[in-house]
Amino acid sequence: MENFPVIILVAIFLAAFLAPWLHRVLGDRCGLVLSLVPLAGATGYALMLPQIMAGGVVSFRHAWVPSLGIALDFYVDGLSLLFLLLISVIGAFVTWYAAGYLAGKKDLGRFYLFLFGFMGSMLGVVSADHLVLLFIFWELTSISSYLLIGYYHNEAKSRAAALQALLVTGAGGLCFLAGVILLGRMAGTFLISELLQMDAATLVAQPGFTTVLVLILLGAFTKSAQFPFHFWLPNAMEAPAPVSAYLHSATMVKAGIFLLARLFPLLSASPLWFPIVAPVGAVTMILGVVMALGQNDLKKILAYTTVAVLGTLTMLLGIGTELAVQAAMAYLLAHALYKATLFMTSGTVDHETGTRDPDLLGGLRRAMPFTAAAALIGGLSMAGVPMLLGFVSKEYFYKALLDAPGSGVWWEVLGVSASVVMVALAITAGFKPFWGRLKPTPKKAHEAPWTMWLGPLLLGVAGIKTGLFPSYAGAGLVGPAAAAVLGDAGFVGGLKLWHGWTTALGLSAVTVVLGLALYGLLPRIRAARGIYAGLARFGPERGYDNLLEGVLSFARWQTGVLQNGYLRNYIMTVVLFTVVLVGWMLPGVVPPPDWSAMVRPNVLTVTVCLLIMAGAVFACLTSSRFTAILALGVVGIGIAMLYFMFSAPDLAMTQVLVETLTLVLFVLAFYRLPVFGNYSKKAVKVRDALVAAVFGTVMAMVVLVEQSSRAADNDVSRFMSENSLTLANGRNVVNVILVDFRALDTLGEITVLAIAALGVFAMMRLRPGSKKEDGK
Amino acid sequence: MNSVILATVSRLLTGVLLVFSVFLLLRGHNLPGGGFSGGLVAASAFVLFAFANGFPAARSMLFFTPHVIIGCGLVVAIVAGLAGNLAGLPFLTGLWDKTPLPVIGKLGTPLLFDLGVYFAVLGVTTLIVFSLGEDGEEEE
Repeated sequence: MENFPVIILVAIFLAAFLAPWLHRVLGDRCGLVLSLVPLAGATGYALMLPQIMAGGVVSFRHAWVPSLGIALDFYVDGLSLLFLLLISVIGAFVTWYAAGYLAGKKDLGRFYLFLFGFMGSMLGVVSADHLVLLFIFWELTSISSYLLIGYYHNEAKSRAAALQALLVTGAGGLCFLAGVILLGRMAGTFLISELLQMDAATLVAQPGFTTVLVLILLGAFTKSAQFPFHFWLPNAMEAPAPVSAYLHSATMVKAGIFLLARLFPLLSASPLWFPIVAPVGAVTMILGVVMALGQNDLKKILAYTTVAVLGTLTMLLGIGTELAVQAAMAYLLAHALYKATLFMTSGTVDHETGTRDPDLLGGLRRAMPFTAAAALIGGLSMAGVPMLLGFVSKEYFYKALLDAPGSGVWWEVLGVSASVVMVALAITAGFKPFWGRLKPTPKKAHEAPWTMWLGPLLLGVAGIKTGLFPSYAGAGLVGPAAAAVLGDAGFVGGLKLWHGWTTALGLSAVTVVLGLALYGLLPRIRAARGIYAGLARFGPERGYDNLLEGVLSFARWQTGVLQNGYLRNYIMTVVLFTVVLVGWMLPGVVPPPDWSAMVRPNVLTVTVCLLIMAGAVFACLTSSRFTAILALGVVGIGIAMLYFMFSAPDLAMTQVLVETLTLVLFVLAFYRLPVFGNYSKKAVKVRDALVAAVFGTVMAMVVLVEQSSRAADNDVSRFMSENSLTLANGRNVVNVILVDFRALDTLGEITVLAIAALGVFAMMRLRPGSKKEDGK
Repeated sequence: MNSVILATVSRLLTGVLLVFSVFLLLRGHNLPGGGFSGGLVAASAFVLFAFANGFPAARSMLFFTPHVIIGCGLVVAIVAGLAGNLAGLPFLTGLWDKTPLPVIGKLGTPLLFDLGVYFAVLGVTTLIVFSLGEDGEEEE
């Protein structure tokens, strides 16, 4: 059982890569085959339940990059298991759902590749034990969600939303990485299981812990769409419905919550935890419900209520009492079940009727009975009506707020107002489209295929079952999860349906009544939604837009300056930078020339050197391009001769070959160039001469320094020459270095060469107006 | 370029150059030579042939497209490196058969790696030269 997490993970990724092929073979039915993998995975996870319920953990270790201390370590406790089950079960249902929703789409195979890639990454996030491993999966979820949100890639809005989600969560991801590294160095371990065993108080007391806390919180807040980073989530509704149901309700956006919960024992020990996390959650919650009120699109309504729920969960974790953590876990489970259902049913409605505007929908229950049933259950759970898990979780939510530290009734007021709006919107999403009079819709509505309603219905049934008998869900999922979050194996967090006539129950009743009243006002609020557009100008999304535009215009400016397309300017830049970077280190270290150590000049070397110099001068002065190239050839061949004289035949041979081929290339490129004219002004020429002279001087000094330090530390070259035959069976040291001692460098070099060649090919062939584009 | 002398000589020289390039490749481990210079010599053989007989003729003599040759070179080099992993040693560790063969000498994965370098250099050079050259011909 220890290796279950890894086997399932590998199977999911394998399924991802097989998906395009399966789609080609099986067509639309491939989704049903693929869904077997997460279902089998869910079974595997369920088998771990007894062990987890008994307070145990499942862990698996495998060395991966031992030199960096990075290992494929997995660790499953109650918190992980709750997420693993949600991800795999809802993943399987979403796979069915997509088979119907995207039926007949040519790139369904690619969709499944991304979806399963995402599923695997998400499972990795919640079961990783090593923080770096967790980060890798974390980033993979960002990338795969980018691909999924941008699934309709020929629509500009969809691409912009995908990019926004990627940039916001990616920026947060970088903060998270920095936080992880700092935390790992501070604590001396990257293993979560070990971190959780440490004494949080001593860790928190270390200097710099505040930085760690803020960085990790930034990662979690961006991922979980907390204010002020919430705006990407509603925009991500450009994605197809299965993606929204999966990523933006049940799984990805909860990764941030997972992170907060995972590191809760450590981070909550900080005095800053409560004043940062609880208010951010509360603001997000209120912002979410306020924004949701004015939407006239079912998906946007659900998206903003999701933002609100994420805020609620963050707030509960921020409050951080035992009851609050338990309530957060129950709320999370309930939300995953009902929100995935509602996202799927509203997607079905959109799919079958052609609209998502709640004002245009009504009376669909006869045409779509199963979808209507699923939506009703989901809506009732969202509204927190008794006999559903939503009710139980809201009871615990209220209990936690009543129990929260701090003065006044602020928590209760905020919590109840958010829940009131939830009730009204639950009716809008779960009830309104299906009941009342049938309204005409752009498409004639009829029931969707079973793949699209079975999953939501099953999730709804799960909501009823856990709502009627919450003790099972409490003992199996919520309790162990809360115990894991609290880091207290002895914590027993069972759920109960009936608590007696309590204040929480009273608040629940008030909530439902007020919610019904608010529902009556909703059309008027929606009619006045123009106000929202006005407010949006001041929202944080505006900041994102400005920042993005600023970065782009800076990039345009600096590209214009640095990448100006003139080879001479590039060379000038490179040379000047070399002069400055090398030059400022030179004063003081350049020894006087040690003439005795140098080779005594003889007729041959002097002649060759004079030839080289003459070639260089001639190349500068000539007014014919052809002569200039030949003169440069003289320089090159002269250098090759010097290599020969100083017994470096390999270098000499290569130099001659390169010289020859360069000449060939010049000849080929020759007549493409404009007539060789002399356009430079005198001042420019003087400047160039000056730069060249300075560069030459610096290089000469570098040679002097190198020569003087050579005797001291030639260990490397001595090692190479002494061991070339014994260790690498070769007498040619140059070659042994290339193919054995430093073979990795060579591999890199030939790869770069290949890329350069492809670059030349692309420039020559793929220019606009070029006829040949097939590479033949 | 329609020179009968060049065309005739190039046919002879191309073969000689190719044999020479293989010779350079094989002796490289102990004497001057190696995959890089061998690859350059082989490339210059094809470039010479192209100049004398035209680029289409050179392409058909090369048989594979330069792209394929580059890819093969990289793959061969990586495979030579992975051989080390298969033996439980780090990537790119040289493995040797210590009994020397006639002409070739001792065989080992560094020779295979050098063969990868040879192909990569051959492919890169011919790709660049052919791209530049054919583009010119097209516009004449």
